[in-house]
Amino acid sequence: MSAPTPPASSPPARNPGPSWGYRFLCGCDAILPEWIFRPLRWLGTAIALVNMPAQRAHSRAYLAAVTGRAPSRRDLLRHFFAFEEFLMLRLRVARGRPHRGDLAADADGFRDLLASGEPALLGTFHVGHSDLTGFLIGPQERRRVFMVRQRVDNSHDTEVLGARFAEWITFIWVNDPSNLLFALKDAVAAGGSVALKCDRLEFSAKTEAFQFLGARRLFPFTIYHLALIFRRPVILSVGLPAGPGRSTVHSSPLFRPDDAGKAANLARARAHFQDFLARLEGHLRADPLLWFNFTPLNPPAP
Amino acid sequence: MPDPLIARLKTLIVTTLKLEDVTPAQMADDEPLIGSGLNLDSIDALELVVTLEKEFGIKISSSEESRTALASIAHLAEFIRARADPARLPR
Repeated sequence: MSAPTPPASSPPARNPGPSWGYRFLCGCDAILPEWIFRPLRWLGTAIALVNMPAQRAHSRAYLAAVTGRAPSRRDLLRHFFAFEEFLMLRLRVARGRPHRGDLAADADGFRDLLASGEPALLGTFHVGHSDLTGFLIGPQERRRVFMVRQRVDNSHDTEVLGARFAEWITFIWVNDPSNLLFALKDAVAAGGSVALKCDRLEFSAKTEAFQFLGARRLFPFTIYHLALIFRRPVILSVGLPAGPGRSTVHSSPLFRPDDAGKAANLARARAHFQDFLARLEGHLRADPLLWFNFTPLNPPAP
Repeated sequence: MPDPLIARLKTLIVTTLKLEDVTPAQMADDEPLIGSGLNLDSIDALELVVTLEKEFGIKISSSEESRTALASIAHLAEFIRARADPARLPR
């Protein structure tokens, strides 16, 4: 099935790496032993750190908020490297490396959803292995998942992953915010689950303020409005590293729209999102490098 | 004699979007629905589109088409008349 929405305009330079970067990494991965390649990746990450002042500043702001202290250069390098290693994992999984996602003990909501067999709106975050969750859940649980993605110059890793899991994954490539909602409508009409990122404000038609990292910060809230419009349940989840070849998926309980009316449903939705954000914050305080936040930290509510 | 489709659309808009500060009678036929006028946002527009599709059996498949259809209530009525089964239109 083809993606419902082609990119409508030139992609913004959000992923600043060169368009050949992922192919280069794949080539090196194929020919270099890990004991040589890994130090080279550290070196490449250090070069990226020096050459990406904006991302460095955003990393610094996030790490300061989550740790409560000014991060050192080493902290910044480790944050960049954590992201690089996740990109490397994506590339390796895309090229066939086995990787499994298991539901955590607290993921009853996800278990309920899988048991029900119904399509849902899957809210996720740029945290840990979350980007792999849809790729793992799709084929493991034989569920069709639509993923919303912004096409950038170097979307190679996502495209290769999509090709490997094409039977279960369909991308909704969105660069024109005005078309996103109609692309989602088509995806819902096609009967699939739709995965949306819930931590960045770009492309979000509705935002609300939630307590997170010491302030009331704005987060996308569109997913719950879509749930009410399409009468679909919402589940929030993150995938966290769980050793070689494994991720653990943590989830919220299922949020299911009921007949109580829009205001009551949205009030329940706010509590649902805030509860998961509190849990997410706990994960991040335990391991600050998990959130790949190299964009401006969610702004405090006005 | 008011156009029954336009009257129905005004009621649908108010009830679907739960507009509290406007009644169907207060809505002008040429009032813009998006941006100015009723100031609906994109989620409101989507909710309205989904309701209209169910009510009249039509398909609005892109934001561009929705912008055209939702330019005003009069535009919306014209859009629906051109696409819906006449049996589904109010008389």
